[in-house]
Parts: sequence; C-alpha cells; structure tokens
Amino acid sequence: MIQVSWESWQERMRSYGDAILCSYSEVFFLRGRNFGAMVMAITFLNPNAAIAGLVAVIAAYVFARFIAIDRGFLASGFYTYNALLVGLAIGYLFKVTLLTLLFVMAAGILAFVATLTLHSLFTIYLKLPVFGVPFTLVTWTTYLAAARFPNLYVSALYNRPHSGLETYLPLEISGFLKSMGTILFLPDVLPGLLFTLVLAVSSRILLFLSIIGYYAGTAFVALLAGSFDVAFRDVSHFNFILIAMALGGVFLVPSRWSYAVALLGVLVSAIVLEAFKVFWSGFGVSGFVLPLNTPTYILTTLLFLYVLGSTGFPRMARFIRETPEETLDYYLSDVRRYRGTAVALTLPFSGRWVVWQGCDARWTHQGALRHAYDFVIRGPDGLTFSGEGRVVTDYHAYNKPVLSPARGRVLKVEKGIPDNPIGQVETVHRWGNVIIMQDVWGSYICLAHFAQGSIRVAEGDWVECGTLLGRCGNSGYSPQPHLHIQVQISDRVGAATLPFGFVSYLSGGKYRANEPVVEGEEVEPCFPDKEQEAMVTFLLDDCHQYEVFRGMRRVGELTFVVRCAPDGSTYLDSGRGKLYVGTQQGTFYVYSLVGDDPYLRALFMALPRLPLSARDGLRWSDHLPIGILFSGMIKDFLLLVASVVPNIADIRVDLRRIGRREISGVVSYPLLRFQRSVSVELEEGLGFKTIRVDDLALRRVSGSVRGKDFGAHLGGPGSEGMS
Amino acid sequence: MRTPYERPVIQKLHSGLMNKFASSPNFARKVRDTIDAIPIAELVERFGSPLFVFSEATLRRRFREVRDAFTTRYPNVVFGWSYKTNYLAAICAICHQEGALAEVVSEMEYDMARRLGVPGSNIIYNGPHKSLASLERAVLEGAQIHVDHLDEISDLEALAVKLGREIRVGLRLNLDTGIQPQWSRFGLNLDTGQAFDVAKRIHREKKLIINGLHCHIGTYIMKPDAYGVAVEKLVKLGYKLRDELGYDIEYLDLGGGFPSTSRLKSSYLPAEMALEPIDVYAEKISEALFNTLRPGDFPRLILESGRAIVDEAGYLIATISATKRLPDGRRAYVMDAGINLLYTTAWYKFTIEIEKEVRGINEPTVLYGPLCMNIDVVDEGVLLPPLARGTRLILSPVGAYSVTQWMQFIEYRPAVVLIDENKGVEVIREAEDISDIQRRERLPTRLKLNY
Repeated sequence: MIQVSWESWQERMRSYGDAILCSYSEVFFLRGRNFGAMVMAITFLNPNAAIAGLVAVIAAYVFARFIAIDRGFLASGFYTYNALLVGLAIGYLFKVTLLTLLFVMAAGILAFVATLTLHSLFTIYLKLPVFGVPFTLVTWTTYLAAARFPNLYVSALYNRPHSGLETYLPLEISGFLKSMGTILFLPDVLPGLLFTLVLAVSSRILLFLSIIGYYAGTAFVALLAGSFDVAFRDVSHFNFILIAMALGGVFLVPSRWSYAVALLGVLVSAIVLEAFKVFWSGFGVSGFVLPLNTPTYILTTLLFLYVLGSTGFPRMARFIRETPEETLDYYLSDVRRYRGTAVALTLPFSGRWVVWQGCDARWTHQGALRHAYDFVIRGPDGLTFSGEGRVVTDYHAYNKPVLSPARGRVLKVEKGIPDNPIGQVETVHRWGNVIIMQDVWGSYICLAHFAQGSIRVAEGDWVECGTLLGRCGNSGYSPQPHLHIQVQISDRVGAATLPFGFVSYLSGGKYRANEPVVEGEEVEPCFPDKEQEAMVTFLLDDCHQYEVFRGMRRVGELTFVVRCAPDGSTYLDSGRGKLYVGTQQGTFYVYSLVGDDPYLRALFMALPRLPLSARDGLRWSDHLPIGILFSGMIKDFLLLVASVVPNIADIRVDLRRIGRREISGVVSYPLLRFQRSVSVELEEGLGFKTIRVDDLALRRVSGSVRGKDFGAHLGGPGSEGMS
Repeated sequence: MRTPYERPVIQKLHSGLMNKFASSPNFARKVRDTIDAIPIAELVERFGSPLFVFSEATLRRRFREVRDAFTTRYPNVVFGWSYKTNYLAAICAICHQEGALAEVVSEMEYDMARRLGVPGSNIIYNGPHKSLASLERAVLEGAQIHVDHLDEISDLEALAVKLGREIRVGLRLNLDTGIQPQWSRFGLNLDTGQAFDVAKRIHREKKLIINGLHCHIGTYIMKPDAYGVAVEKLVKLGYKLRDELGYDIEYLDLGGGFPSTSRLKSSYLPAEMALEPIDVYAEKISEALFNTLRPGDFPRLILESGRAIVDEAGYLIATISATKRLPDGRRAYVMDAGINLLYTTAWYKFTIEIEKEVRGINEPTVLYGPLCMNIDVVDEGVLLPPLARGTRLILSPVGAYSVTQWMQFIEYRPAVVLIDENKGVEVIREAEDISDIQRRERLPTRLKLNY
C-alpha cells in the first residue's frame, strides 16, 4: 500500500511540474513540458525575474489546487501562464527578497483569479480567448499599487544582468533578438537568441512569422518615424513578433491568408503601439516600462480575432494543437476527411434511389426552399417506371417504405390527401401527405408526398432512425411518385430550409460517411450492422495487448488502455500516445493522435475510418495528416510548404473490405512516391486482431481484454500480484 | 415460286380447341434464333451440341432485380449465393461480384468457395452433414455455421474446448408456416419448443454463442404469406433468446425457395400467371420485419435465393438426332440431351423453342433423351411442327440445378459457355472426354488386356 501511495505521490508531483512548465511554453503559443523547461531555463539568465515568475506561477497553481480545481483542467498551463508573466514583470522591476516574493505570490493569485473570471466573460460574451488580458490588467494594477508600497523600493531595485553581446552584432539582428528576449522580460541578445532557437526547434512556422512580423512592423515604424536606428533599438517591437505569431500561426490556420492577416495586424498595431507610448508619456511614465505596451498586441490580436470570428472567416483554427504545424496538419486532413454538413441525416429509405432534384435546383428547390432533396428510383433502363408509366403503381418508387432519417419525435402528420394521377399535381396541399419531426439534436425534418393513408406514425410518437414512417406516394405538388426531404427552421409546413446532408451511404460503388450529395447521383444507405458496431465499441479500462513484428522478427509490443477524456471522447492510451477514436452515425473514426507512438500511428494509418455496414467488398477512402507518415525534418518542411501550397499535403488511404472482418488497402503519397500496403483484421467480438503496415505487423495477444483496473475493483492491491 | 416441301402430318380431328385468345394451337410456336444476339447456329458450330449457354447479362439483371426488390424494402439485406443451385466457378464469381456471400451445404461446396478466394467470413456453412474436419476449418476461417442438430452442437462444443474459444453459431430451424410438405427434417423445431430448449442447453455449456437464426421453409414456395409467418416466428424467438439468455441475434437467414419462371408439371397456368412477382415476397417479408422488430433494431436479413436468380440465365441447346413415329401415332424425337443433363425435367416443364421458323401444322410430340432408359423423357406432349433431323431446340430455363445435378451416365457432359455483356462467348466448362471419366480409375496390371 505504501509503495502505491509513493508512486501516486510521484505521479502527482510530475503532473504539477508539467503544468508549471507548460505555463512557460504557452507564452510562445507552444504546448508541452519540454519546450517549457527550455524557456524556464533561459529565464534564469535574469535570476531575479526567473524566481519571481516561478514563484508567481507556483502560487497560482497551489491556490488553484487549494480551491480544488481539477489537475487535468490546469495541465495545459493555459490558466496559469498569465501569473507567470505577472511574476516576471514584477521580478523585472524589483530584486527578489522575502517581501517581494510575498508580493509576487499575491500578484500571482490575483492573476489567476483574474484569468478565470475574464476567461468566462471573454468566452461567453465575446467568444474570444482570454489571452494575455489578465496579465496586462494585473501588471498595471501591481505597478500602480507598488507606488504606494515604499518598502518594496528600499532594497529591491537592481541592475539587470546583461550579456553585452549586442556590440558584436549588426543593429538589424540585435534589435530582433532583444525584442524576442523582451517577450519574457529579458531585453537582451543572448536570451533572445536562445528563445529564437527554441522556436526554431519547436515550430518553423512560428519562427518564420516572428521574423516577418518583426521586420515588417519595424520597417513600417522606421519609415513613419524617419529613423531605422531608433526603430531597431525599440524593444517594444516584441509586440510585432507576438501579433504575427498569434494571428499568422496560432488562432488562424497557417496559410497564405493567415500570413497576410498577420502582416496587416502588425501594421495596424504599429499605430496602437505608438499611441500607447504617447499616452503613458502623458503620465510621465517612460514607454520603456515594458508591460505598459503589451496591450498593443493583445488589443490588436483580439480585435482581429473578434472580427474574423464573427464574420465567419473560414480559416480560423477551431482546434489549436501543440504547434501551428500540427494545427495545419490536422486542418488540412480534416478538410479532406470531413467534407459533409454539420446536420446530417440517414437517407430516409432503403436501397438505391436517385437524387431527382438537389439543392438550388431548376424546379422547386429555390430561394428559402433551396436546401431540399427529391428522390426517385430508377430501373435498369434509367426510367423511373416500368410498363407505360401511366399509373402510379408503374413507378418503382411508389409504395416503397419511407424510413425515419433520425431519432426523434413526430410533430406533425398529414395523411389523407389522395395520390395524384400521373401528370397532374395538387396546388392547394402542395406538400401532400407530410411528416414533420424533430430529431434529438433539435433539427426540424420534413418528409413529403407520402401515399394516401400510408403513414403509420402519429403526432407525438418517438421514432428511431430507420423506423418505417409510411410509403412513398404521389400526393401534393408531385408529378411522379417521389420522396421529398428537407431540414427547416421551424415545425411549420413549408418553413424556410437549412443546409443538411446525409451520412453512411454508397455512391458510385464507394462508401461515403458524410459528403455532399448532387443531382443525378445514385445513393443507397448503409445501415450499421450489429456485429460491426460491436467490434469497435471499446469498453473503458479494457486493455489490449499486441506483439509487434517486423517480418518474422519480434521488435516490440504495444499495450493500450481505453480511456475517456474529460470532454467525453474516447482514446486509446499507450502511455506514449493517445489515439482518439469514436463512432459517429454509422462510421468508426480515428480522429487524431496526440503524442508519438509509432504503433498507434500504424493503427491510424491502417484504419482511419471504418464503415459499420456489413456489406461485402465495400470500398472507401480517407486522408491522413502528414505527421502520421513522416516525422522530423521531412514533416516540418512539408508542412511549412503546405501552409502556402496546401495541395501538397494530401495523403490518401484507399481501403476495401474483404469478408466481414478484413480490411485491406493502400496508403499513398504520390508527391514523394510513397506507398504502403495496409491491412486490418477485426477480432471476432471486439477489437483488432492484426494490424499490418507493409512488413510491420501488430498481433493481438489473446486473452488480454480486461485491464488490471478491472480486477483491482474487486481484489485491491493483491490482484496486482496475480497479474 | 415453288412451295417448299413440308413433311406430312397426321392430325386427329376434333373441335373446341380454340382458346379465348383466338390463337390456333396448330400454328403457335416459339422460335429463338439467338441467345443474347449470338445465333444458335454459331454457338453449336463453335462449341458443339448439346450445349449449356448462360447469359451473364440475364444473370446480373435477375440478381439486381431480386436484390433491389428486397433492398428497397429493408435496409440491411445480404444475399448468400446458394452453391448447390449452380456451382460453376464463373457463375459463383458473378454472384460474388454482385455482392453475394457463399452459402454452402457440404465440405465440397466449402472447398469450392474457398478455392474461388471467398474469405471464410463470407461463407455460410449449412447442411445436415458436416465433417469434423470441415467444421474445424470453418471455425478457424471465421465462417458462419448454421447448426442442424444436437450432435453437431456436441461436435462444435468439443471444438470450442479444443481451440480454447467460444464459437458463434446460427441455429437452423424448421417451423410450420402453412406450407405443405413441411420440411421438418432439417434443423431444430421451433413450434414444439425444441429450438429454445437447445438454446438453453447451449447457454448452460457456455461454449457456443448463438448470433443468428436460419430457416428454409421449402422450395418453389408459391405462397408469399408463408415468409411473413416465418419472419414473425423467427423474430419472436430471437427476442426470447435475447431477453432470457442474453444472445444478441445479429441476423435472420430466411433461406431461399423463391420460385423461378420454370413451370411445374402440375401447373396449368404458365409461371408468369401462376406466381406472384418477387416484389410481393419482398413486401411480405419487409412488412413482417417492420411489424415485429423492436424500434431501431435492424438485424441482417440474409436471403439464399438461387433458383429465382440463375434459372432464367441458363439455356440448353439440343439437337434432334432421330425422328420417330410411335405406335400410338404420336411423333417422337430423340435428342442428344435428356434427363442426364436435365435432372429437373422430372418435375418441371421447360419452354421449348425451335432455332428457326418451320412450316407445318403442330402435333403433339414426345421428346426423348439419348439414354437407353425408359424414363429419359424430356417432354411427353409438346406441340411442335414436323422437324427435320438436325434441327436444334432450345430448352429453358435450365440455369438452376441442371449443371449441379447432371449425371454422368453413358454420355459425356457437354460444354458450358457464357455470353458476356459485350457479346463475347467464353467456355466456362469444357466438354468432357474419356480422360475425365477414367482419370481416377486404376486398372490392376494383372487385368491389362493383351489385344
């Protein structure tokens, strides 16, 4: 028991350490403890500031734990890096003494509570990240307060250490490096150089942005002010670096557009920056008191983000990952992987139907009613009827089952309107026999033109996806039997329509999980099959073990445990990496890989998605992030280029089902003539039996399903000894 | 112009044969000079007579018609190609290309499916006789096994112990759907509660997992309602298994038995008039499923349709090798194909077409096959005009069961050709010769003859 608690204590300390280190990397918009450790080490070039910063962030963290905030919540460092900056700002001004440390501690806690409060306000009312706002406000506050605390000044002012390296460098370079150092209150060449190196190691895109941001902004100021010399000596130009990084690589997906926005942001901020300096000089405060200028980059960035976000700029980063490269990588693959609409339904029928009229079409799907689809059935001859087509019963679609496209409740039903003879339409009851239902997500769905008397659900009925609603007919404004479906803004018959699409269907011989459907396309729904669903329904805490072979040689092993993230998503945790997976509307997806585990990468590569239909010979395609195939220099270079030429980042996976439990296919990246054959064998029951990528094979060790935690509930520590 | 020669015909005089369509039976005749636009004469010239001809276009069209009839009415339908109906590799391959699983009923058929490359998990292993070795292979290869009787359950349980794993099985059931005769010799009886008792027994042993139910209510079922009854009973049992024993039924296999357009000898009307179209069968099954399944539950519906898909795609070209007049005055022809190639002639009446227009009055005619056996009669009374020796007749539909049940008795079995969708003709089974017949024989040296 003692050993267990020692281990858990160690683990706890490690997680505290990680959270604190992550606060350091957050300043440069990076994630992770390693970069944080490097940044922290560099701050010790000015031990005063470094200690104050560290004390402030520790104070904030301990306070957060004291008021019982969850460790996972704090782990990213996102809520504590403002405290760090406040600590650094105070340490920059005052020498470390017991008194200043107490002051720093209090300021750190203030920064933390300000962060949480402002975070709520910002995310709710402005839909903006809180960013460095708490830092700015709290630093101003402490600086103002410090004026009334004379004891702080008695022994606490000091001369800051200086490397003296700038005399060996041209002004154009030392200016940049000093500004870079100023970001963490180290306005000197050496720390600036070191930070630049950290950036160079962690993200080439950020490095690139910091350079173009700095030089563009500085040149602009120099031209306006008339002196390049003065401009390069002004360390407050670190604002340009931060704006360029924030806009160009962090909050926007790195691209030509984001780079342009970054440059424009830098130019705009030059005006704000100088205005702030003039403002402060009015109070007799020098513009070189650094923290007073930081509102420049915060204000500019927030203004841009608010406008871009509220007007729906398409290249906002919805998921900000560890580095801009990662953000870009997943953005580019996600754009290709998930092409469909947010509201997506199951096709409301069974078998092959053809889109007779799509959205924005030539007949009736126009204006407010433009988001709608009409479906008919075509025979082998391409016609929608057999025989002469003079009566409704000649039509293939007539009397075919109409199935519920979603789970939900039936709100309105009209069922007594007669079917029109062929060639005539009804203009009074244009929708004919109609059902309006609301699905579990709140969408209003309208299905129209049912056969007279065929509707077998009533208002108020709860229906599951696939429930038989009625039969396709020819009632209403319908020249031939067909099925009309739309998603609309209210439960009123004939209400304005909203965009929607369909999930899990076959088209052109391929499975589509959620893609736009076009006129003339023949589509067939693929209903999920129980056996297939069961095979990928991972149970929490289950432990899956694999032996890894390359050719015949055993090269390692993989053990992953099924875990649940705080947001409810499921991931497979191998210790080295987390593979996020999930099932959505009939398709199993591998969403993303966090961390780096070559064997989880192999799984991602071999099975990025799996249709849960039992159909034999099903074919489908998917796309992968570059980071799943490449690492190191190649990956970095490809992504830097992809930020300007996104087309180069297209890694395709083509898969096909062989039998009920085997999937095989090819991963290809024509640009580098890269090709891998992949295959997966599903376990009868649950999970993956084998996973292959070329000659790398992961083979499931049988009998390894239940994790040790499962038994631990029953047996306690004793059961550990048994396993 | 000279009138061509016509063979004299003796016609018994009687009145009242007019039918309501006012066509005279004396001159009505069926002529087919091509199959899929390939002239009959050309086919025989290239590949000999008799000759089985399969139309890939018809096969695929029929498959899709039957498939669409069901898939437009239920969203989780899978077809199993019934190997016994026709296990020519090319025919099976076409059905598999169209998406069918392999439904096999013996070790031999299992081997055939595997040889074609069908993955084990795409095989449904049915049948009353499964050898232990074949069961083990089927388990290891992930085939879906449908158990027929208790002894097979014991075999499988022993296998489960040997392999150290649970085995998923389906239960073959027999039940009363109002169809006579009731096929009660296959599977476990549902109505008497035997099936559920067996399930309890399986549940107690915990070596097998029941994941499917299968029935096959008969063949050439002319009452679509029977399938509705079968669905209701299967679904009810399925939910009982789930609620009481915890087995999740992943699929219902309704077997086949849907009729083709071949005409039973006992049927007065032609098949198109006597039978409901396949859509009606599909409608009954779909209606019963939607009425009985719980909301949101869509088990796989497996159909093992054979005859309804392949029968119409097959033709047999036969040549008249002799003409005869029987003592009772009827005309008779001896053909080069008989019951040896058309085992199903015992209960089906084929459509008989002549390769070209022939003048003359019809008379009742007997068609004999080539065997020196009295039972070798292809048709006892078809109305045909007088035909010359060498005339070719086209018999259809013969796609189902003929090339699996044909026998090798005193004659070589002929070639089988396939007309593809681009009108190319390929041999899919060569005509036999003496080596095929004697390859397996061993003649002891002491019996070698010294001529």
